[in-house]
Amino acid sequence: MQKILIVEDDEKLREELEIFLCNNGYKAESLKEFNNTIKDILNIKPDLILLDINLPGADGQYICKEIRKESNMPIIILTSRDTEIDELISINYGADHYITKPFNLQILLAKIASLLRRSNMQNVPEKIDAKDFIINLSNNTIIKDNKEIELTKNELKILKYLTQNRYKIVSRNEIMEFLWDSENFIDDNTLTVNMTRLRNKLEELNLKELLETKRGQGYILK
Amino acid sequence: MTKISFFKDKLIQIILILFSIVTIEIFLLAYHVDMFIKIYIPVSILGLYTISILIEYLNKKRFYNQTLNILNGIDEKYLIAEVIKNANFTEGKILKEILEQANKSMLENVNKYKHLQEDYKEYIEMWIHEIKIPIATSKVIIENNKSEATKSIDEELEKIENYIEQALYYARSNTVDKDYYIKKCNLQKLVNECIKKNKTVLISKKILVDTHNLDSMVNTDSKWIAFILNQIIQNSIKYSKEQAKIEIFSKLGKENTVLYIKDNGIGISKAEVTRVFDKGFTGTNGRLSSKKSTGIGLYLCKKLCDKLGMAIELDSVQNEGTEVRLIFPNSSYIDMK
Repeated sequence: MQKILIVEDDEKLREELEIFLCNNGYKAESLKEFNNTIKDILNIKPDLILLDINLPGADGQYICKEIRKESNMPIIILTSRDTEIDELISINYGADHYITKPFNLQILLAKIASLLRRSNMQNVPEKIDAKDFIINLSNNTIIKDNKEIELTKNELKILKYLTQNRYKIVSRNEIMEFLWDSENFIDDNTLTVNMTRLRNKLEELNLKELLETKRGQGYILK
Repeated sequence: MTKISFFKDKLIQIILILFSIVTIEIFLLAYHVDMFIKIYIPVSILGLYTISILIEYLNKKRFYNQTLNILNGIDEKYLIAEVIKNANFTEGKILKEILEQANKSMLENVNKYKHLQEDYKEYIEMWIHEIKIPIATSKVIIENNKSEATKSIDEELEKIENYIEQALYYARSNTVDKDYYIKKCNLQKLVNECIKKNKTVLISKKILVDTHNLDSMVNTDSKWIAFILNQIIQNSIKYSKEQAKIEIFSKLGKENTVLYIKDNGIGISKAEVTRVFDKGFTGTNGRLSSKKSTGIGLYLCKKLCDKLGMAIELDSVQNEGTEVRLIFPNSSYIDMK
């Protein structure tokens, strides 16, 4: 499990962030004292850090600059300072992303995932094993019993989202929001078309009964 | 200074002089003085007096006209004390002194308010940074405890966030110093961020979003423009009808790049469309019970656009829709205000 370090002085926010990151499959730790922040961070050796700017003691931008001298770990700045200048300084000091509070948590997750993927390429999950079938992310296919079917980008994303939320009812709006986060602003009709095609493709693999429509509520992947 | 007003001021002097000449003449007549002296004394007094007030007239006329000309020539009239020429007569010197002192005291007064405003802006900025932390915390709490209730709270938080943004930019729009930073920004990226920000309500209201031709770069402050775009898109959402659609695209011109935000909402009546950028103007649409317009959004957009050296225009047909155009100058040099 990958370790994310939260460097944030607001106690409640860091606790909730820890819970949130744990819920999403990461190991989260946070600093509680800020006297030797830089040393502490380097000692913990996290896979990624979420760094606030306004901290007691050394400020986040300075910390970022100092860490870059020693380490290449991905740094996401998480701050309420929202000016262009602050962002530029942070990026120049070597931060990978700059996110302002209050932030969109899904976007935060996406950025964490993409940074981690880039920083240790060996851990790229090329395939998602969903027991009944396997999603191959490298060539956009779904595999069952050596039978392979190609999916479009949208279908792949929808299936991925359903797999992540397996056994739960997922509303159409949730699926759309997930697709919109990756800048694919599809409308309701397009989603219907995509769902029909996805269902047909699942049927080709004899997986039709897995995807169920809950009238008025959404879909569920069993 | 006209001749008449000048000589009116000198009226008493002239009457007294004439009166004294008459008195002298009476004495001279009574003592049977030589005819030459009888004529020479009044003529010389009158002559010398006339010369002296003519010199005074020309002198003052020159000074005051010059001062008035300077005054008309400068934009900031209160600076007159700095540029006024030195006078060679007492009144002019006093005038200069008075102006200088009045000006100094006014500047001190203005500075006092400038500082107060600056202070207030700093406080607002700090306050806004502080309040964003509990909002961020609340959002994570909501994410960790998903339910119908927290989802609903999330929507309310979204509104709070928007009001806070508005307050922040209102404070920023009112200061003279520049706290923006202009660099090259990709339009597609700016628009996408803004759509993502509003995705929940766009999806739940089933609003079609169509973006195209956005692959161009503009010179602007990405944060400020994001705020402006957000206000415009939120208006489109707020005043949408059934089968709503928002179309966003850009056109590259020779001197500028224009970003179009077009909706098919309820539109604005012809009589009101010219006033949409006025502060506090809500119009008939804004007074609809469900809309609750503050009359600040577009006013702020216009103000921020002015500061950024770009233009904002709005056209609308009632019941058909509204088109907002953001016009970015293409040159990298932008007249900083």
